[in-house]
Amino acid sequence: MGHHFSTPAAFAAEEVDSPILAIHSKNAWNDHWKSHKDSSKLMVIDFTASWCGPCRSIAPAVKAMAAKYTDVVFVKIDVDELSEVAQQWKVQTMPAFVLVKGGREVGRVVGAKKDELEKKIAQLRA
Amino acid sequence: MAVSGFEGFEKRLELHFSGDNPLGLRYLSIDDLQQVLDAVQCSIVSAAGNHSFDAYVLSESSLFLYPHKIILKTCGTTQLLRSIPSLLHHAADLGLRLHSCRYSRGSFIFPAAQPFPHTSFSDEVRFLDARLPPTLRFRKASVMPSATSPHSWHVYSAADDEFSVLPPCGPTIEVCMTELDRSLARRFHRRKGDDRSGDEAGAEMTELTGIGGINRRALVCGFAFDPCGYSMNGLDRDRYSTIHVTPEDGHSYASFECVGGGDMMDYLRKVVNVFRPVAVSVSVSGGGGDEGGVCSAVANALEPLGLSCRNRAAEDFPGAGTVTYQTFTARRK
Repeated sequence: MGHHFSTPAAFAAEEVDSPILAIHSKNAWNDHWKSHKDSSKLMVIDFTASWCGPCRSIAPAVKAMAAKYTDVVFVKIDVDELSEVAQQWKVQTMPAFVLVKGGREVGRVVGAKKDELEKKIAQLRA
Repeated sequence: MAVSGFEGFEKRLELHFSGDNPLGLRYLSIDDLQQVLDAVQCSIVSAAGNHSFDAYVLSESSLFLYPHKIILKTCGTTQLLRSIPSLLHHAADLGLRLHSCRYSRGSFIFPAAQPFPHTSFSDEVRFLDARLPPTLRFRKASVMPSATSPHSWHVYSAADDEFSVLPPCGPTIEVCMTELDRSLARRFHRRKGDDRSGDEAGAEMTELTGIGGINRRALVCGFAFDPCGYSMNGLDRDRYSTIHVTPEDGHSYASFECVGGGDMMDYLRKVVNVFRPVAVSVSVSGGGGDEGGVCSAVANALEPLGLSCRNRAAEDFPGAGTVTYQTFTARRK
């Protein structure tokens, strides 16, 4: 019996036309981090894993928040692709949303908790 | 005692599969998962996952998805067993083969309020027998009574093999507590005018009630319902834990369940201290053949807290191994 076990479809579709920037390499992350420190904007780092159902369950809500809060930068990191970065930020349970401003962590939401995430973003974006 | 109210006692379903896909059940799409939950009439409130499993807090309890194991625990008047056809269908689509099924529950506080097939244990057994595949040829249904109270522990299991392999995660403990201490139960009511999210209020409840201190290694997703009620799932490596609270006076109830080894009795003690109930029932499954040892360990954990063991029972179930059942009540001061 052969099954093609590819990444669940929902993730592939999200990468097209999305206000969320998916980062796939250490270099891209380093560049992005440098430019973040020079800006005053709030950045939300969305740590996800392709095998994590809860990440998929909140994906539409995160996409909506990214479209709504245009003064906030949304970045997505796959914990398998960039495992060093995930370890650096001590991410073991997903989804994990780390809110960063001026190079410092100012908030964190672990788990698919959309009300809490939205509230924190609204509070911290100013 | 209320004539009717929210039913805290849960119905619990555990299914074990095997298959080639290393992701197994975790590969289920959210739409398919929601379809299963629609059959049961509950929805996802919050969720989190780690390398070993996904944990969902539901509108009426919890769901744990491992690659080859699913545990679904629902309360109120949900029709838990109706999830089975849909679950088996999706599992088959993923190339998974069902090996065993275990269904268990305590005694409902409001049995007349339960919809079919939860109208009686025999209705539930008939429903299960009809919907599980014939490959699960070893089956057993039993009501484990408790001598001094109307409470019993109902267990049904079906497996394709008479003997079960000891679960790699360790034994599972299921604790049901009733007649909670009133001032402690009040901590699970939301304050008037509190407009925070259920997640935020839940996180505060987790800390203030001492639930956060049960296992500091676990990532806890707590949720506070409006106007009262609380649910949490804990994730600690490959071990889940879950607590659900119905704090209303007259039919107060709290449950605790977790899997895994050495610290289990320590967690049991701590959780009973969070609620200080008048009555507690404890069932341990998958603990290997030493039911005497298990029952003694549970009694040793609870007797110093002022609880006396009123009965103990143990039975073997196909695919589930030995299941123990003990009830405790608070000694008069």
